Amino acid sequence: MTKIITTVAFLVCSLLSAQSQYEQGMAKSLGLWREGKAQEASDLMERIASAEKSNWLPNYYVALINTTEAFNPANKAKVAALLDKAQTAQDNATVLSPNNPELLVMQAMIYTAMIVQDPMVNGMKYSPKVMELYTKAKFLAPENPRVVFCKAEFEMGGAQWTGADVKKLCDEIGYSVSLFEKYQPESPFHPKWGLDRAQEALKNCQ
Amino acid sequence: MKPFYTLFLLFLVLAGRAQQTISGTVFDGKSKPIAGANIFIEGTYDGASTDEQGRFEFSTTVNGKQELVISFLTYETLKVAIDVAKCQNESFTLKESVNTLDAVVVTAGTFDAGEKARVSVLKPLDIVTTAGALGDIVSALQTLPGTQTVGEDGRLFVRGGEADETQTFIDGIRVAQPYGATTANVPTRGRFSPFLFSGMSFSTGGYSAEYGEALSSVLLLNTQDEATEEKTDISLMTVGLGLANTQKWKTNSLSFNTAYINLEPYQKVFPQRADWNKPFQSLSGEAVYRHGFDNGMFKLYAAFDASQFDINSETINHPDKIRVDLNNNNFYLNSSYKANFSGQWQLFSGLSYGFSRNKIGIATDAVSNSEHASHIKVKLKKSFSDRLKLSFGGDFFVTRFEENFKPIDSDTFTSNYNANLAALFAETDIFFSKKLAMKLGARLSNNSLLKEKVLSPRVSLAYKVSKNGQLAVAYGNFTQAPKPDYLKYADDLSSEKATHYIFNYQYSKDRRTFRAEWYWKEYDNLVKFDTEVAQFDSQYTNSGFGYAKGLDVFWRDNATVKNVEYWVSYSYIDTQRDYKNFSVEATPSFVAKHSLSVVSKWWINQWKSQLSVTNSFTTGRPYNNPNEVAFMSGRTKGYNNLSLGWAYLMTQQKILYFSVSNVLGTTNVFGYEYANTPNETGVYNRRAIRPTADQFFFVGFFWTISENKKDNQLNNL
Repeated sequence: MTKIITTVAFLVCSLLSAQSQYEQGMAKSLGLWREGKAQEASDLMERIASAEKSNWLPNYYVALINTTEAFNPANKAKVAALLDKAQTAQDNATVLSPNNPELLVMQAMIYTAMIVQDPMVNGMKYSPKVMELYTKAKFLAPENPRVVFCKAEFEMGGAQWTGADVKKLCDEIGYSVSLFEKYQPESPFHPKWGLDRAQEALKNCQ
Repeated sequence: MKPFYTLFLLFLVLAGRAQQTISGTVFDGKSKPIAGANIFIEGTYDGASTDEQGRFEFSTTVNGKQELVISFLTYETLKVAIDVAKCQNESFTLKESVNTLDAVVVTAGTFDAGEKARVSVLKPLDIVTTAGALGDIVSALQTLPGTQTVGEDGRLFVRGGEADETQTFIDGIRVAQPYGATTANVPTRGRFSPFLFSGMSFSTGGYSAEYGEALSSVLLLNTQDEATEEKTDISLMTVGLGLANTQKWKTNSLSFNTAYINLEPYQKVFPQRADWNKPFQSLSGEAVYRHGFDNGMFKLYAAFDASQFDINSETINHPDKIRVDLNNNNFYLNSSYKANFSGQWQLFSGLSYGFSRNKIGIATDAVSNSEHASHIKVKLKKSFSDRLKLSFGGDFFVTRFEENFKPIDSDTFTSNYNANLAALFAETDIFFSKKLAMKLGARLSNNSLLKEKVLSPRVSLAYKVSKNGQLAVAYGNFTQAPKPDYLKYADDLSSEKATHYIFNYQYSKDRRTFRAEWYWKEYDNLVKFDTEVAQFDSQYTNSGFGYAKGLDVFWRDNATVKNVEYWVSYSYIDTQRDYKNFSVEATPSFVAKHSLSVVSKWWINQWKSQLSVTNSFTTGRPYNNPNEVAFMSGRTKGYNNLSLGWAYLMTQQKILYFSVSNVLGTTNVFGYEYANTPNETGVYNRRAIRPTADQFFFVGFFWTISENKKDNQLNNL
């Protein structure tokens, strides 16, 4: 009896301690990122990923942080390395959680960063892929605000070239804002970003 | 009470698990500390980042043997086994990753285009948008240095080599008949449309041991690995129609592309210098099927084209024109399979079969010939690390050629040959550091028809001299069996040989690329014959030789002027050879000493248009004037062609394209044909070889229909 209780207790304790370590780590990393310490945040996420072998979120954030950094003009020289790192983490996350709309959006963002880096070389190759990813994500999660917003934002980016219907895209962005407002993430660490960007984009519509 | 006690104890144990400290310093290859490197024990939360001095320290609850991971952007991630108890004040050194954009690349001799290329000089779109290229891959490549503009031929002539010294490969497998059939002084085009290819690499010398049977150059085309979307492309042109479609389902995709070209309506409107009975027409189709496996990819590429024309060919030796009526059927099949295995092994295998049949009526004579050419290749590649890669394999070429010549008043004369060629190759890629890399390889081939074995070593080295500049050198031996024109009459010949020495400097920064390449090429064993033209009763020997040396300069700038891209190519060449029926060593007629091409493209957002301008200039080319004593001493006047193109983006998916070649209407002369016998006053008469028309106008409408509708995509999920 004692043995069983000891074992159970040990397991519970380990889990509790691991759980809290996960939560602490995630909270700390996201805090670092908010403070603008992207590199440290990414490093911590990488460590969490190394311990949490079955959770896609830490890898998702490694990809998200490094892709966001790649869009920063100050990092121009490092873009390829940042995207390389993001793609590796993205691949690890996709293995853990295939057909995840958040990860499809993430992949689309990595490709978008590649297009921005060299439009002439990468535009023709990645634009259709980005559209395909968003279309697939929208099929899987039509009410995910990031899916709706990012898709519209990407199409908006090409609108001056393509002559796409800007008004329709603005309506989509407006719709995404309403989705953002009622969005409930699965856990405090699940993706929930995007509302401020969507509101900003909506302002530019008017 | 006891269980609670146990539980309490456990909490204590967990809370107070022995902590041990791990510390050390991280350096780069030059013993400088790295700040901001990420260090952690694999599988735990325990880790830290290094400070400004490269130092780190953290405590961990795990003990014993563990794996320590150290990662830092643009460096190779280091994984080391440590004993936690003993890992204090350790030093670690990270190696710079050779997989970064600023790492050295072995580039001597090669121009890469496409998304995989790290230093891309041409982009896939350039083929379509270069004025004067009209979607022909070969014409676009002729704006690069090292190539010769030979307007009456249309094929690629590289660094003093004949056109057939360049081999074309699709997905690593040879294309035996890369050009459409044609007759004297009517230029040909490449058979392949640029749309199905995602990248290409054009090497003007010093290429890999993987490629054989090419004396001067290889053109490597790669079909797309995956179709990006389902779409239909429709083209309506003043010279014909085209239709392309791509379908995708699960792990398969199929693309096809068909075109019907007929120059008759165009030539009705714009009279030609050439006298056509029936202008060029062709029906062609290409298809690519791709199937993705978990760890590999299978591709099948097939192309068919049937073309026909009938022309009255002018010649100085005959008061009447000579009628040439040509029918060509060509089929090409290429299949390849690529797979990745555990342990960083990669397998590539491929097979191609090409069939070409010509039926040519020349005045009252009839010629028919057929060529079956196959190529089989197997290659294994092992990556020991990012820094050391080894590849090896073998290939097998089979060629069967037969020709029947039937003069009107005599019997059919048949000539043929069967050639089997087997080769083994091995090559290694070594990165000594981020700055120094080497490619070392050799190729051993055995030609059963010529009964010979040849070993060809190849080596190239590249060294990064500054942040944006690098030097490269290459050396190699190259061999190629004599062309069918000779082999069909004589099989006691041996392979022709060339040795390349290349010295290259390249500088690239911020979308600007400069490269200069100096080369020296030695030819040996070239085929010679002793008659006016190569014929069945000629005496053939391998006693020819020659050299080519020169400088190729390339400058591309996509940055200085907003929305403008331009490149400038300049080639200087000094070459002479004693081959064919030359009486002495001389510069062949296809070589111009100086060539200059300027290509520019200007995107005008307001007009949603891209304007492109291409100017090609070459100095005069040699010709032999029998009225002179010296052989090949004549020089034509310079050649100049200014072409304009205008692409108008009606909507994202509809493009209207106009182009005009030789806007200035320059009278270009490619060379002269002299009479075989002098006239009554003892002078050999001549006839200028001119383009079939001075100018070419083109209007096309290109419409892409791609539906990203949900219904379509649903089936793909």
